[in-house]
Amino acid sequence: MAMPPLRAFALATLSVSMAAPLTFSAAIASDKAPSELVLAIGGEPKEGFDPLLGWGQYGHPLFQSTLLTRDAKLETQPDLAKEWTLSDNRLTWTITLRDDAVFSDGTPLTAHDVAFTFNQAASAGGALDLSAFDSAEAVDDFSLVIHLKKPWITFTENFYSLGIVPAAEYGQDYGRHPIGSGPFKLISWTEGEQLIVERNTEYYGKQPEFSKITFLFTGEDTSLAAARAGQVDMAAVPPALADAAPSGFKQVVVESVDNRGITFPILADEGKTDAEGNKLGNAVTSDRAIRRAINLGVDRDLLVQVALFGHGTPASGPADRLPWSNPKAAVEYDLDAANALLDQAGWLRGEDGVREKEGVRAAFPINYLASDSTRKALAITLAEQLKALGIEATAIGKSWESLGQIFHSEPVVFGWGSHTPLEVYSLYQSDWAGAGYYNVGYFSDAAVDAHFAAAQAAPTLEASYPDWQAAEWDGTTGYGAKGEAGWAWLVNLEHIYYVNECLDLGETQIEPHGHGWPITSLIQNWTWTCE
Amino acid sequence: MNHAVAPQAMNSLVIRSNNRISTLMLTALGLGGILLVALGSVLIGDRGITMDFSARMLAPSWQHWFGTDQFGHDMLARTLHGLSLSLNVGLITAALSTAIAVVLAMLAATGGRWADAVVSFLIDTTLGLPHLMLLILIAFALGGGTTAVIIAVTLTHWPRLTRILRAEILQVRSAEYVQASRQFGKSWWYIGRHHLLPHLLPQTLVGFTLLFPHAILHEAALTFLGFGLEPGKPAIGTLLADSMRYLMAGNWWLGLFPGLGLLLLVLSFDAIGNGIRKLTDPRLSEV
Repeated sequence: MAMPPLRAFALATLSVSMAAPLTFSAAIASDKAPSELVLAIGGEPKEGFDPLLGWGQYGHPLFQSTLLTRDAKLETQPDLAKEWTLSDNRLTWTITLRDDAVFSDGTPLTAHDVAFTFNQAASAGGALDLSAFDSAEAVDDFSLVIHLKKPWITFTENFYSLGIVPAAEYGQDYGRHPIGSGPFKLISWTEGEQLIVERNTEYYGKQPEFSKITFLFTGEDTSLAAARAGQVDMAAVPPALADAAPSGFKQVVVESVDNRGITFPILADEGKTDAEGNKLGNAVTSDRAIRRAINLGVDRDLLVQVALFGHGTPASGPADRLPWSNPKAAVEYDLDAANALLDQAGWLRGEDGVREKEGVRAAFPINYLASDSTRKALAITLAEQLKALGIEATAIGKSWESLGQIFHSEPVVFGWGSHTPLEVYSLYQSDWAGAGYYNVGYFSDAAVDAHFAAAQAAPTLEASYPDWQAAEWDGTTGYGAKGEAGWAWLVNLEHIYYVNECLDLGETQIEPHGHGWPITSLIQNWTWTCE
Repeated sequence: MNHAVAPQAMNSLVIRSNNRISTLMLTALGLGGILLVALGSVLIGDRGITMDFSARMLAPSWQHWFGTDQFGHDMLARTLHGLSLSLNVGLITAALSTAIAVVLAMLAATGGRWADAVVSFLIDTTLGLPHLMLLILIAFALGGGTTAVIIAVTLTHWPRLTRILRAEILQVRSAEYVQASRQFGKSWWYIGRHHLLPHLLPQTLVGFTLLFPHAILHEAALTFLGFGLEPGKPAIGTLLADSMRYLMAGNWWLGLFPGLGLLLLVLSFDAIGNGIRKLTDPRLSEV
């Protein structure tokens, strides 16, 4: 019945020793040629490498190529498309392709493949926005037209992210055996372990310097241990581990719009539920004064310091530093103003310091994904800060499933960040209320909807930017913190990589949501600087 | 499990001689350690729960003996809170497990052939399953949280004590003076109260005490693996799991001190359990 002391000791110290991961599942050649790279940056797609099911939405599709591409400054550059024009009624795109593109199996890429890709994607119902798409048809081998049902300027995002697949080869199993016209081709993929890709010699663009790249899908700790052992050339690391680069490695910090914020349920708590029976509305956050006060009264610099160890920037909106966000929409941290706002709105402090209004206590949970340590740290730190406002918030960790049951009625820490304004549209447009993970708070505002509609009807993406900005803050209202304050955006992450000192990544983009894979979008520009 | 084996190993590690004074002192030391944890966690109050953003990630110093974590929690206070939480969970589960063991052992030893077969079957089944696996399965099925941990640990820790108690009862029951008592026409109820219970009490007490460290360690293990106590509570398992990602960054104090605290708490119970056994066992008392 007694506990052997040795076992007691072993169990107690087990947890300490488990912190040093000792095993690697993937075989790594230690004496590899410099023309080969091993990357441990995560980002394995669950659905495989099928662009029609969403592969390539964040970062580059790698195996396929797209009609257009973005450079390091996020400026549009031609890729497969040589010319692209939108008709005056904004319903027809006419696209001319380059004539030298071939798939990795040697067959030429023609307008028929492009038309097939778009038509097929529309019927596949993947993660892409093809709601405005009507049909695509090839005019001849190297030009095609795409018809839209309605003017929809964010349709262009598909030109950047939808990889073109071969009409002749596409089938059920494509996601595991992709054939495309991108800079690399897939050699082998062991799910959950590693992906090996090789340079596509048929690629029409600039040939990458590295002939073979291995992606290891290891956990963060394991990736770092592998970097220490010199077995990888690049490892993505979380903020907590970001300040101890192993010898031979440099720390590369990439700015991102990978943001974190909390959603506010906008509806009042009237006992209603959605179609699945999940509760709608929240008696506290449905008051705009509460939402504005939280936006005003949170010290985002402190959040960055505590939760991100300084590796981030304060966030004011869902698309900071991108041309469709409005710099004027940001609010400065002002605790006194926030408290005054709450006093005015009738939220008065009770005996325990927590505010009340008409019998409603200013208290709510802040839910976060339990397995995500950064979100947990944000939720805990935010809850602590809200005490100064007289708001009692409790950080609660949950699984994705449980979050899906409460996110219409309680604040949740979420993260977004994309290279297209479509995301902003999906987060705040009233028709998107309750759709998936986007507008979970049922945000709805007529003025914001009107600005969105104007933006979507613009002749070019560049011309639509002022309307997107007005949706965030137009001087009187907007979805931003000065207006309806549909969210409290908190921080933008910095993506941190430990990179072999000999590997030069060139200029990097502002990365979208998703640590890891986006770094590969300019992989053709990577060079090896050592002999 | 033969309950005599492990304490012998303990002897060779901690005290070579079976001196009653040193046994008593060790027991007192263990008891003192446990009282310290129980009292300490009450005395420090909110310390370790409230955050101090100006004192984040500090290495151990005179202000913070065990250092501080990412949010500026004092780790000494947090460790004490965690240990006291473990104590509470351990107390409830050990008590419940012991109660189950006593009831089943009585049933097996006095309820006839069938009852004995059923209880033996239950013991064998439970012992035959991998311990941690069963714990995880039960805790997971009940959805995690404090109640789930208590139920899971309780349901997996009774068999060994049951087996010992059953053997003890069978042995006493066949003793001559019990047979004589029976011949005098005493009822089983009388025999149970006057002959069996006095023999079972020390065994039960030792069993209860030695269940404690098991229960605490398994609670910590479950929590560490994410199936146990709520992540918001400063449980030792949570502290150790949280420390994992900082150990690589060189913040060793986050893992070391909670781990040591758990180890010392477990050793305290071992000392008490063994002390009680030695001090009450007539065969060892004359040495």
